Amino acid sequence: MTNLSLFAGRPPSAGAESFADHARRLGARPAGNRALIDTLDRSGLVGRGGASFPVGIKWKSVLSRSRGAAVVIANGAEGEPLSRKDQTLMALRPHLVIDGALLAAEAVRANRILLYVGEAHRAAVAAMARALAERPAADARRLILLPAPASYVAGEATAAVNFVNTGVATPTATPPRPSERGVDGRPTLVQNVESLAHAALIARNGDGWFRSLGRHEAAGTVLLTVSGAVVKPGVIEVPCGCTVDEVLELAGGVRGTARAVLLGGYFGGWISARQAGTMLLDPKGLPAAGGSLGCGIVSVLDDTADPLEVSARIMQHLANESAAQCGPCFFGLRSLSAATTRLAGRQPDHGDLPQLHRWAAMVKGRGACRHPDGAVSFLQSALSVFESEFAAAAGARGRKAS
Amino acid sequence: MNNTALWYTTRGAGAVSLVLLSAVVVLGVLSTLRFESTSWPRFLTTGLHRNIALTAVVFLALHIVTAVVDPFTHLGWLAAVVPFSSYYRTFWLGLGTIAFELLLAITATSLVRGLIGHAAWRAIHWLAYASWPVAVIHGFGTGTDTWSGWMLVIDLFCILAVSLAVGTRLLVQSPDPLADDRARFRERVSRKVTK
Repeated sequence: MTNLSLFAGRPPSAGAESFADHARRLGARPAGNRALIDTLDRSGLVGRGGASFPVGIKWKSVLSRSRGAAVVIANGAEGEPLSRKDQTLMALRPHLVIDGALLAAEAVRANRILLYVGEAHRAAVAAMARALAERPAADARRLILLPAPASYVAGEATAAVNFVNTGVATPTATPPRPSERGVDGRPTLVQNVESLAHAALIARNGDGWFRSLGRHEAAGTVLLTVSGAVVKPGVIEVPCGCTVDEVLELAGGVRGTARAVLLGGYFGGWISARQAGTMLLDPKGLPAAGGSLGCGIVSVLDDTADPLEVSARIMQHLANESAAQCGPCFFGLRSLSAATTRLAGRQPDHGDLPQLHRWAAMVKGRGACRHPDGAVSFLQSALSVFESEFAAAAGARGRKAS
Repeated sequence: MNNTALWYTTRGAGAVSLVLLSAVVVLGVLSTLRFESTSWPRFLTTGLHRNIALTAVVFLALHIVTAVVDPFTHLGWLAAVVPFSSYYRTFWLGLGTIAFELLLAITATSLVRGLIGHAAWRAIHWLAYASWPVAVIHGFGTGTDTWSGWMLVIDLFCILAVSLAVGTRLLVQSPDPLADDRARFRERVSRKVTK
């Protein structure tokens, strides 16, 4: 693991950093205020939960409606199956996350802070609970630890708000956005825990420091979860703007020959290994290059694995994770996953492949949340990167092939 | 264009609007009932509902504009905007103005549904149940052709169709094909009650 900023200090084997160690290493936490929001603006920090939305703008929109009664949700639900970075961060540096949450609450003038931590992430929940106990009473009073259900959509911002309000973590239609009307109808800031941890360091070291950590005009560092066909899978911190090749090298190199890289996770997309190597991991620049950093997933597929089978499994997962609120998402993803699975089994029905293309376009934008959109963009990346495999599978003798 | 042509246009566009609006209400009700068959997929209901509604607005505009510009009526633009401000058949014309303005609210909010949110849109869409009967009464009260046989047949047909649709809506529970799956999912992501 590289220890650039979030993981600076004692090695991961030492476990969670205590409040005493945290305070000794980094000094006292400065106050959160309007000036901090401007600093975050200048720092170029964007959200690390997946949408890469500028943090300063988000805080500003909550502050403008706050009237001193806003709510902050530190989002550590981490429902993405390939992601480990949020739970690792909370397990090793819980006080950075808590600092960030307190700073956010002061800056947007919130009087309630919820630490929303995926209940399946045991080490993270335990470390956060211990960290709360170490805090002075004045801090601890403002913080509530709230376990999040283990599901893909539970970490979606409106689902998190809905869980606090009604006890059920299903997404709701926007508008109103959480920043307008969230927990108890109050303006609510839902911010990923890694973003908050970065904010805690930016508040201490300034925006110039954060920008200087990045490369190629990208700002700061980012936590990645590297998995698949690499020698040392795990969570690493790298400068934004480094290449995929550099990341794979840090992960001990590729086992075998890489065929493709899944960037951004289940809501991201496949990039062929040839193209991926030189791509810059920059949350702002990647979309232009046809990728997305999402929540920091880099997963390598080697040439011995069947890309269709892996893609079909991911589609099945996403279809199962539909909250069954919107027809196009529930039925659409089920049909898309079934057709992908038939193709992966080399037993397609007649017309499965053209149907996939047609249905994918029909599902996009037709849910209350972006779940169907994410699933479809993942599928479309599979259809394009593994075009020849899909074509060969569609040509295979199907049950009803004409 | 001579005055007679304007007057005939007003009446014709009024009758056409009634038919179109009735169709829109019936289709709206059918969409909440999730009506479908092999030859009538569900998107057809919502697609027709939307497009016929927009066509009805055009015919209503024609109905109103020709009535106002007709030099014979001396209605003036104010009567088209402010209910019950017309010297001529104050009450019956006022109903028409109200029905049209309700419809404008419904149409406008539907066009910006993504901006105002589903709940607000739905609340305003309920006004359809006020707009349609008011429009029908407006037609009965002030229609030049109210008591001609052909107009009576159109009226009767429209009222019957809408009553039938609304009656069905009241009696039949709209089937929700996702109810079971949704309940199962909600159970999975619900806060556990600690013992």
